[in-house]
Amino acid sequence: MIEIRFHGRGGQGAVIASELLAQAAFLDGREPQSFPFFGVERRGAPVTAFARLDDRPIQLRTSIEHPDVVVVLDPGLLRTTPVTDGLKAGGLLLVNSKLPPEEIAAPASVRRATVDATRIALAHGLGTASTPIVNTAILGALAKAAGVVSLAAVGRAIDQFVPARPEENRTASADGFASVRLAGPMEHGAPAPPHRPTPLITVPDGPLATTPSSTLHTAAWRTLTPVIHLEKCTRCNFCWKFCPDDAIGFDANGFPVVRLDYCKGCGICAEECPPGTIEMVAEG
Amino acid sequence: MAKLTLPAQELMYSGHAACPGCGPALTMRLVLKGLGPRTVVSIPACCWTVIATPYPTNALGVSVLDNPIEATGASLSGLRAAADALGYKDLNVVGFAGDGGTADIGLQALSGMLERRTNAIYVMYDNEGYMNTGVQRSGATPLGAWTTTTPVEGSSRGKPESKKDIMSIVLAHRPTYAATINPAFPEDFVRKVEKARDLTGPRFLDALTPCPPGWKYSSEQSIELGRLATDSGVFPLYEVEDGKYHITRKGGALKPVDDYLRAQGRFHHFTPEDVQAVQAEVRRAWEHLLLLEKETA
Amino acid sequence: MTRLVMSGAYAQSYAALLAKVQVVSAYPITPQTSIVEKLADFVALGKLKAEYIKVESEHSALQVCVSAAGLGARTYTATSSQGLLLMHELLHWASGMRAPIVMGVVNRAVAPPWDIGADHTDTMAQRDTGWVQIYAESNQEVLDTVLEAYRLAEDPMVRLPVMVTEDAFYLSHTVEPVDVPSGELVDRFLPPRDARAVLFPGVASRLGSFTGPDHYVEFRRDVARAMENVPATFAAVEAEYERLTGRSHGGPLSTYRTDGADAILLTMGTAATTARGVVDELRAEGKKVGLAKLRMFRPFPVHAVRDLAATVDRIGVMDRSYTFGAAGPAATEVAAALYAGPRHPTVSGFLAGIGGRDVTPGEVRRMFGALLAGEPTDIRWIDLEEQQELKIDG
Repeated sequence: MIEIRFHGRGGQGAVIASELLAQAAFLDGREPQSFPFFGVERRGAPVTAFARLDDRPIQLRTSIEHPDVVVVLDPGLLRTTPVTDGLKAGGLLLVNSKLPPEEIAAPASVRRATVDATRIALAHGLGTASTPIVNTAILGALAKAAGVVSLAAVGRAIDQFVPARPEENRTASADGFASVRLAGPMEHGAPAPPHRPTPLITVPDGPLATTPSSTLHTAAWRTLTPVIHLEKCTRCNFCWKFCPDDAIGFDANGFPVVRLDYCKGCGICAEECPPGTIEMVAEG
Repeated sequence: MAKLTLPAQELMYSGHAACPGCGPALTMRLVLKGLGPRTVVSIPACCWTVIATPYPTNALGVSVLDNPIEATGASLSGLRAAADALGYKDLNVVGFAGDGGTADIGLQALSGMLERRTNAIYVMYDNEGYMNTGVQRSGATPLGAWTTTTPVEGSSRGKPESKKDIMSIVLAHRPTYAATINPAFPEDFVRKVEKARDLTGPRFLDALTPCPPGWKYSSEQSIELGRLATDSGVFPLYEVEDGKYHITRKGGALKPVDDYLRAQGRFHHFTPEDVQAVQAEVRRAWEHLLLLEKETA
Repeated sequence: MTRLVMSGAYAQSYAALLAKVQVVSAYPITPQTSIVEKLADFVALGKLKAEYIKVESEHSALQVCVSAAGLGARTYTATSSQGLLLMHELLHWASGMRAPIVMGVVNRAVAPPWDIGADHTDTMAQRDTGWVQIYAESNQEVLDTVLEAYRLAEDPMVRLPVMVTEDAFYLSHTVEPVDVPSGELVDRFLPPRDARAVLFPGVASRLGSFTGPDHYVEFRRDVARAMENVPATFAAVEAEYERLTGRSHGGPLSTYRTDGADAILLTMGTAATTARGVVDELRAEGKKVGLAKLRMFRPFPVHAVRDLAATVDRIGVMDRSYTFGAAGPAATEVAAALYAGPRHPTVSGFLAGIGGRDVTPGEVRRMFGALLAGEPTDIRWIDLEEQQELKIDG
């Protein structure tokens, strides 16, 4: 049995990637299982999906803690999410990235692969620059890098189950298959991130929630970062006024400061800034 | 620093779990700016259940009570009763419910709360559908809009019915105060919240809250869409006090609804005839509103 | 102390008055109406200083109590049958929010067909909602139990809602003498609510919340622990009430003439009164029978049931409701409690008094007869057997 974990962002298609993989594996004659992590993730927030492939009916219904393959749909997640947590020795880490696989940090025993799925998706008009739909390109890359499913089956699954632009998506998967790059394990890998078990808590005297949500940081949701060019700023406060995340503060002189721990990169401040002093810059 | 045009105090904490560009999040932020910290908010099942972040965290700097989706009106009556019994005279009792929890499943409890003249403020944040569950149509979804239960495929071309007129339903109960609010006009918004705060009896605020994933547009457009909604007459800004209508934003001629509709993926299938149908409906409602303002002056 | 002749419905109203409840919500349903009508009088006359909220449904009635309790108020409402079923969702909210609401329930049959007679289907359908359930046998017990229920519900070790139930008409509309304790005495027994874990204006906190499997289990376990604390807490509450008033209703499960019994019949609510009389008759005839009265159904008094089995070999359980496709709810729970205990007497299930049909002495005799004769333990619809006999006799 092969266990695969997908990391993406809400709205990016990680869950659909996992489902499409299952459909494609089924067309290959295998027994698949695919399911999302049922959380409350919103658009932009890190999300997880799982797939299992086997030649026999699968007798497990749990999250995947020790995957054979980890697929990362958004390179920004490498900075914020411990994506290789539990990845088996000799396992594969496939990342949507412009970088060659040798430059992807991972534990020593891990094989690495990269594919520039964002470029492929945009070349075929799939999604927008801020939200490219990379799942079909990365499935093609997965077919090649992990060999768990055939490209032909991925193509047929796209034809059957992708309602919008099946032709472009099929070509994107072929491009992903053709352009994925592989690297073997490193001699000295990045140290494995410490495994963090879910903390167990005791509900205190009464079910009251009292910890401010500002203890939670939402920077990981962001793909674009506002950069304020203060030389043109009139201190009109529009950026502060319209921020849905209260992520604009002020410095001692009354100039706006982006509170980067909380900014989700929605772009409202840049859009609404009357003198146009705010620029949205792509992360990483 | 230039003078702030809104109260400085932030009672909605950062770190909340709203989508980027979330209209309901900005709406909560502005509502609490107008109300201040002596506030208890009752929240039914809706996007804000989740936005407020999981136990043991809380995204609001006030008291928050969760209630089932259909019971917000009753919850406000209970909170006010307890506040009165316990001597909390200066407490703002506020409901913050979505359009489904208000105009559909919560209508009975809302009607009950208005009829028994509960001294509370009910805020409906209208993102025009069941967005927390992944964009299904509600009674407040506008004519022709795509949702997952009113698809644009085969025999279906979006929602065949018009949007429920919740303000008229509320006003039939003769509340102390009712107003439409739009986070794209934050000064008008907060002024109305403060006005509602200082009155007693049942008060209702109808907020139009753009939703990037549900309405299918890019998150930075949330404010611009709200602005277009009001300036095209799709969502006029007005208030009704003691039965008297007052339109709080009149920018001369209405803009055509075309720009507003075109900016949203949920209307992308619209033909020129569909746009005309919406335009006619909007114009009729706007003229009716002008008449009401004149008649009740 | 005053002695008044009053209905079981009014016994609820008087208890709520004495408990100085601060918020009452009311929606009418037969045969509960006179409870809330009387409370409306008390409020109108200034005897009870409470916010009296006339809601538009039972669902809202309980939501009013849940929200008011969330701010720290002492709350009361009452309902019956369909109204209780409509409240089902809110019953879970009340226990999950640890709201110490006390609610009067007049046990009534569930439609269709419409029938307003006594039947326990309405409350038995709420067994799994995290409420303490206490079934009363007399109007005196109704009044006393409501007062005890507030102490129990508000105890820091418990903080769970309690429903105090009474059979439709057999109590709700039956008038009989009731000792009404003085307000002063009740004040000593029941001080104002110690409002812990509630929302305080100006203090940021959230009551209810949402969570995932990582914390949800802890929430459920805490409710379970609170339930586990009920028996000891209730024993202390009853002891104090007895010290002040001289009255006790015998804990979660009480027995009558069970010494050396060959067979014991377990009943709930008003059927216990009739059955007690039959036990006296049968004992006079030399038959060794006894009665067990199950007063508290949640938490289920597992240990008391096992104690009951220590000396007897045949237990009959009379249920006033039926779980379709299974058995009577009390019979099922009695059998389950005994299974893990040291002794395993036979358990026979009897259905009687369904939909308000009289539970007659003849029927009770029939149940004891079956037990003493060692007849098969299959569930028996005693009501139907009685009717067939009547038809044959007629």
